[in-house]
Amino acid sequence: MQLDFKARELTVKLVYYGPALSGKTTNLQAIHRLLSPEGRGRLMTLETRDDRTLFFDLLPLSFATDSGLTVRIKLFTVPGQVIHNSTRKLVLQGADGVAFIADSQVQEVRANQASFKDLRRNLKENGLDPSKLPLVIQYNKRDLPNIRSEEDIMRMASKGKEPTYLATATHGTGVAETFLGLVELTWDHLEREHHLKERFGLDHTEVTKDLQSRFEAAGEGGGA
Amino acid sequence: MSDPNTADLHHGEIANLEDLIDRESLREVCRSFFDLFGLSIRVFSARGALLANVHEERSVCRYVNSLPDGKRACASTVGEAQVVVPTEGTVVHPCFTGAVYHVVPIVYDDRQLGRIVLGPFVPSELEDVPEPLLKVDPAVEHERAAAALRDMPRVREETAERIADHLRGVLDLILFSGHRAHLTSAMHLATVRENYRELAEKNARLQEAYDKLKELDRLKSNFLATVSHELRTPLTSIIGYSEMLQAGIAGDMSEEQNSFVETIRTKGELLLSLITSLLDLNKLERGQLSVEHEQVDPRAVLAEVKETYLPEAEKKKLVFEVECDDQVPFIQADPVRLRQILINLAGNAIKFTPDGGTVKLVAISTEMTLNEDDEDDDGFGAALMMAPEPAVEFQVHDTGMGIAEAEITKIFDAFYQVDGSSTREFGGAGLGLAIARNLVDAHHGAMRVESELEKGTTFFVTIPETPPEPE
Ligand SMILES: Nc1nc2c(ncn2[C@@H]2O[C@H](COP(=O)(O)OP(=O)(O)O)[C@@H](O)[C@H]2O)c(=O)[nH]1
Ligand SMILES: [Mg+2]
Repeated sequence: MQLDFKARELTVKLVYYGPALSGKTTNLQAIHRLLSPEGRGRLMTLETRDDRTLFFDLLPLSFATDSGLTVRIKLFTVPGQVIHNSTRKLVLQGADGVAFIADSQVQEVRANQASFKDLRRNLKENGLDPSKLPLVIQYNKRDLPNIRSEEDIMRMASKGKEPTYLATATHGTGVAETFLGLVELTWDHLEREHHLKERFGLDHTEVTKDLQSRFEAAGEGGGA
Repeated sequence: MSDPNTADLHHGEIANLEDLIDRESLREVCRSFFDLFGLSIRVFSARGALLANVHEERSVCRYVNSLPDGKRACASTVGEAQVVVPTEGTVVHPCFTGAVYHVVPIVYDDRQLGRIVLGPFVPSELEDVPEPLLKVDPAVEHERAAAALRDMPRVREETAERIADHLRGVLDLILFSGHRAHLTSAMHLATVRENYRELAEKNARLQEAYDKLKELDRLKSNFLATVSHELRTPLTSIIGYSEMLQAGIAGDMSEEQNSFVETIRTKGELLLSLITSLLDLNKLERGQLSVEHEQVDPRAVLAEVKETYLPEAEKKKLVFEVECDDQVPFIQADPVRLRQILINLAGNAIKFTPDGGTVKLVAISTEMTLNEDDEDDDGFGAALMMAPEPAVEFQVHDTGMGIAEAEITKIFDAFYQVDGSSTREFGGAGLGLAIARNLVDAHHGAMRVESELEKGTTFFVTIPETPPEPE
């Protein structure tokens, strides 16, 4: 989190992490499409010819709050391929929250797990405590055959503490839920750490509600 | 993170128009606007730097500037127009000539990075020569002023706004590309630097580990050589001399003497094999065991184990069965080590099952979770990490004396055997189990035991169909 007192601006960084081709960029594209346009920046994608994210994607969002603070949210994705580890680590620097986008297909178990371990390692190397970082998990590509069942996922999720969502990012379902879930978790955390309410009168539920209404305003929000 | 490059990357922010824009391209864009609409354009950064300046001296300006007081007034108006900061949208800055400037903010990613100054031009509503122009200098002539004004570009207010919007849109695209290029190169540099740092660090660590390993390896070889020499040499003599005695080289022996010597010889051989196992175990526990991975058919492994023990099972009149249905898949494992696991477990089962009992080896297809005891992160990411994967479970059933509940956790410890008495009764230290457990671990498998006193024991060994990739 970065606070600019002079400009009365709060900048928060959220990172979409996960294995290559799990749908991180597609999530950002869907958020961009589903959000009403005011305060929504251009989606910047730095990709190579083969359509894979080379460095990262960046979607800036910003909105005014009743407290007078302008809240700026920077949504990043990381490149999933193994060789881009340094980039992932750099993008992860200063992250306030992470959405882990997993591929639901049964044969992707290992790739999901390897990427998750990689996330844990990179967080530690950036001096972030994985157990304290706001983290949500999304099982994407629910429309495909041969996926892990919802029952299985929820049973596994009940053993951990991360909120877990199901999504089909290409249809835009579950995307808003995942994003709002992450924003809510992140804001709870920021409130506990920085007492934004007491110091700036910024109510941490306001941000989530505001974003939610902007998904609804755009008409297609909601999702699964 | 004091590095300015990485600081930028942190939030992907851009602070200065100067960093984003290629001045030459900006000038070209402004020039083409000028050619199209005939309006002078100046672009300033938020810090006040003039980044592009495409203009032409206008007739009215030329006329005013030809008069001393007019020149002074003109300079001050232009100076004012250039420092207007349009915080709340476009500002219309008037000139005493009746012409106006439009000062348009350049906003990118919510930040005001600079401004565009359009003009001067004459609003199309203007009809007469305005008073201030006539009074700016005593020498102003009405006719000449009116003629000069007629030569000025005339633009309607809305048209001026549309032109400004259009220019702003084009600038926004240029800024976006500039931003993108800026982030890309910053990220590229940072990545290269980080890669280099990581590699250098890793190299240093590898070198250190390599040096240490070389030293360890030397010590270990010495140790093993010493142990095998010191222990095996006298043992070989014991066994050798026993054999010579039995062969009658030192004269005939009575039946009883012969049987004593036979005991000395067989126990000596047992001791020799124990020393060998100990050395194996030593290797295993130091994690020096390397496991090969190839396609292994569980049916074949079970068959081999059965063949190994068939004579012993027949001697004890055991029911000795193997069961493995067609569903059971091949697994990626080390065939030699896998066989050893089952040989050790089956060996114990046969040893501890009384004559006429049953020993049964089974393989079934199942699932297992590979990351269960991964670090101590306490359910961190369970929704991902607990995903089950295909595996094969081997079961070794016996109808032996069983293991008391309290003893179950201890049985995998090296040297431990259920109770002191059984050691004497059945012979052999409990090394087999400890070795089996280490081999199962080396396969990323799992091992557990179920037992009921007086009824029998079952060992379960689960091996993943494919081993996890090394990290
Ligand atoms: N069937 C299906 N395909 C998806 C879904 N989400 C993403 N994809 C596809 O998966 C591929 C990789 O997606 P992308 O967002 O680029 O992955 P990234 O590497 O994580 O950024 C693309 O071809 C997407 O169209 C989904 O929900 N269902
Ligand atoms: Mg991508």
